[in-house]
Amino acid sequence: MKENKPRTKLNMRKVEPYIWLLPSIILMSVMILVPIFSVFQTSFSEISKSGVNKGFNGVSNYVWIFQNPTFWNTLGNTVIWTIVVVGLSTVLGIILGLVLNEKFHGRKIVRAIVVFPWATALIIQSVIWKYIINADYGALNVLLTKLGLIDSYVNWTATPGQFFAWECFVGILVTIPFVTFCVLSGLQSIDTSLYEAAAVDGATFWSRLFKVTLPLLMPSLTVSTVLNIIYVFNSFPIIWTISKGDPADQTHTLVTYLYKLSFTNQKVGEAAAVSVVGFVILAVCASVYMMITLRAEKEEE
Amino acid sequence: MKKVLAALLAMVMVLSLAACGGGGGGKTTLNVIISQYGNYTQEWWTQFEKDFEEANKNVDLNIEIVSWNDIYSVVSTRIQSKQQPDILNISGFADYVNDDLLMKAEDYTSDAVKAKIIPSFWESNAIDGTVWALPILASCRSLFCNMDLLNEAGVSAPPATWDEVLTACQAVKDKFGDSIVPWGLDISTDEGQAAFSYYSWNFGGGYLDASGNWALNSDANVKAVEYIKTLIDSGYCNSAPYTDTRYPLQDAFSAGTLAMMIGPMNMVSADSTVNYQSVGIPTNTGTSTGLGVCDQLMVFKNDAVKDQDARTKAISAFFDFFYDCERYSDYMVYEGFLPATSDSSDYLASNAEKHKVGGSDATGNSEYFKTFCAQLPNCQFYPMSKSEWMDVRNGVIEVEQQVCQGSISAKDALDNLQKTIAG
Amino acid sequence: MKTKKSPWARMALYLFVFVICIIILYPYFVMLTTAAKSNEEMYATGEAAVLLPSVWQWSNFIDIWREAAVFKYLLNSIIVAGGATCLAILCGIPAAYALSRMRFKGKGVFMGAVIMSQMFSPVVLLVGIYRLMTAMHLTNSLIGLILLNAAFNQAFAIWLLRGTFTSISSEMEQAAKIDGCGTVQALMRVLLPVSAPGIVTTLIFVFINSWNEYTIALTLISSDLLKPITVGINVFYGFNFIKWQYLFATSIFATIPVVILFLCIEKHLVAGLTSGGVKG
Repeated sequence: MKENKPRTKLNMRKVEPYIWLLPSIILMSVMILVPIFSVFQTSFSEISKSGVNKGFNGVSNYVWIFQNPTFWNTLGNTVIWTIVVVGLSTVLGIILGLVLNEKFHGRKIVRAIVVFPWATALIIQSVIWKYIINADYGALNVLLTKLGLIDSYVNWTATPGQFFAWECFVGILVTIPFVTFCVLSGLQSIDTSLYEAAAVDGATFWSRLFKVTLPLLMPSLTVSTVLNIIYVFNSFPIIWTISKGDPADQTHTLVTYLYKLSFTNQKVGEAAAVSVVGFVILAVCASVYMMITLRAEKEEE
Repeated sequence: MKKVLAALLAMVMVLSLAACGGGGGGKTTLNVIISQYGNYTQEWWTQFEKDFEEANKNVDLNIEIVSWNDIYSVVSTRIQSKQQPDILNISGFADYVNDDLLMKAEDYTSDAVKAKIIPSFWESNAIDGTVWALPILASCRSLFCNMDLLNEAGVSAPPATWDEVLTACQAVKDKFGDSIVPWGLDISTDEGQAAFSYYSWNFGGGYLDASGNWALNSDANVKAVEYIKTLIDSGYCNSAPYTDTRYPLQDAFSAGTLAMMIGPMNMVSADSTVNYQSVGIPTNTGTSTGLGVCDQLMVFKNDAVKDQDARTKAISAFFDFFYDCERYSDYMVYEGFLPATSDSSDYLASNAEKHKVGGSDATGNSEYFKTFCAQLPNCQFYPMSKSEWMDVRNGVIEVEQQVCQGSISAKDALDNLQKTIAG
Repeated sequence: MKTKKSPWARMALYLFVFVICIIILYPYFVMLTTAAKSNEEMYATGEAAVLLPSVWQWSNFIDIWREAAVFKYLLNSIIVAGGATCLAILCGIPAAYALSRMRFKGKGVFMGAVIMSQMFSPVVLLVGIYRLMTAMHLTNSLIGLILLNAAFNQAFAIWLLRGTFTSISSEMEQAAKIDGCGTVQALMRVLLPVSAPGIVTTLIFVFINSWNEYTIALTLISSDLLKPITVGINVFYGFNFIKWQYLFATSIFATIPVVILFLCIEKHLVAGLTSGGVKG
């Protein structure tokens, strides 16, 4: 009994952090964990076409998707889509960020312009681009004809490959601003004395870029890349608006594919299995990332 | 950590308690989902809801208008969470019957309503002799030609056979080049099965054989799909038939930049200045087969309701009210569709002018209803009462897209589909 | 940074920036000009096609307010985005504070769970979300959208806020505590004012994400008058018609407020991302 008081204090200490976390935990577990659980459950159930749950059916939904060639094609597309969009937008975003960090006339205007795609709803941008690349009356053909660059209208979307390329293009365009601003903010925190030291050493532009700037930008870039991978992997409106995964289901990514399975083809159980596969892929990536960062943190210590 | 768990549990309990609340009261509530047929569907049904509740004080009607883009997802998620509507307006009912979700039409249709519905429509919603849904409206598809463009290209009359279509397309292409699209084609996920129907039926094929079994890989169907590919490969069609839905094509036709397309009778916009003619779909069989589309109204079971009699009565009252000759005719003029009841067909053949077209001051056109109601008997409908229909629908769209992309021959693609569907 | 580069490299870089700006601005140019075209010019091709409308139909911009409840859609979007932002920040600040200032068991697990929660996009969880919302009687309600948007942005908010807090030394709070402030007071009076840029960034992020959210609202909201703007513009993309002009005119009204918001906080954005980003 004597030790009672200090112990409650100690317990309070131990419990306190969880109280701080509580609102956030409640919000996320109710709104996200419950649906996640129900998706896992659905992926092992037979759901009829009209939506009635007919009960547990083992792994047959998974077998169905793994035997479906469209699924494998979709998986390939998803990897390409994520790598291309994240990769190119990161490279372009870095260049843009480096340029915008310098002082030149019109810098403010350019920075304002770069914000635009970020501030526009994806669905709106997708609809505009769908209209622009329409081959029959779209704005791009009209513009290029008026400029005299083409003689007759070009069919920009004749093949699935072309559709997909345009979708990647739009994806890159809307992702650049985020990277650019991450780079800009990273650059702001770099100590200018480092550059002066490098300049004294007679370092060239390139060696300064690769030896000083980029390594110091790494933390910001890691953040933007990780977030972008998740967002781009899960991105839905661009592909759904522009091609709905067609022609012949050749331009799907996992997210649009499962949406089509679930809501057009009414294969809800199979769609849930696709979600779980997507989740597993991202979870593996996340654990790799966590392992690397944890190791890096240990090394720092 | 225990505290956290306890708090979580408490939260969940509060939420589930909240979920149990609600309900009660003496009124019968009917939740109705209506598909959005046009810009003004909402307006008409809002008035309907008011009028109906005025006439039936003991019924609380909740009408929800859902666009065609979302309706299947909305309904499917509702059913999964056991929140199905009482009355649903959608296209297709076989899946719901399979899952035993629907009430038989006989159980809630009054004799008066049953007597009005045109018999072929009544029977088209039957599976093995039992009727499961009521027809809400009908439309029929035919070929629309911009006559000014065709004449200028040297084509004097709308094409009547598929070969004449090719000739006409080439003439338009030679004359106008890029600026006019000769032939509108939609083989998108949205409605690609409609294209399959136009072509396969008028090549002499179709979905079913004479005894009502699936016959998707018939020679005529192969020819039809190959013909679609020819249209695309010759450069006669809009550039992205895989993703272009019918709607921008219709707008382009109304704006005068598309020469020919197959579409529903009300597809040309009211303010269009195009000089057009609408004729039967071209055919190689001698008689043109139109595509009739007939959407349904169906009633879901709801075992949770205590007073089933009151519910059924309210539902009967709803249909009596809706199919009332003048009100129903008004809706048909409002949306521009064709009635599925005989009294409204007769009435509209001479009285359409008494009603307004949705959202405009334009009055209905009796001639229009007379012409198109007469075309309905030549129309075929999708085999919606077969339980494989949704798979077939998606299957033929995939076949069209794959074949036109050149990744597989029409014969192989249709053989595969036939194998998947019929085993 | 001042760098000396060859004039050619400079030229190339400026050209690059110029091209990117043109590509970024082009869709907005199309949006603006098309929104003011007549239906004929909209679909005109070949010789008849025009870059700019021959007669600017400004009436399109007025018609949309009559054709659909655009004002209501915008209002709904503001309510949803505003509500979600407040909720996400209110839950996020204490969590981020605990993560940056306290040591406790399960910290790593919690951080892992936060990242994991970002892995499922709402599209993937749609069916589950719908079921949950039905059980809570929150389908077709703005409150449901607020809760969901707040939850799906929670991870991001925590991440950014934690970064901000971690980058600020805890000495001042400790001084405040010695002066007799409680933890809450120390947080409110000392830490929050200093981390304003980071908080503003987080606010904006959550606001934008919720403003732009499309799929959840599409599935959950059935009443026309409860639709946020992203779903509301679909009325011009309906069954028998696509009104591109109205679609684009409405899109402009949906975009302007967010762009203005972004431009106002652009400087904070850069500062906020730094503090949030350095310590991911």
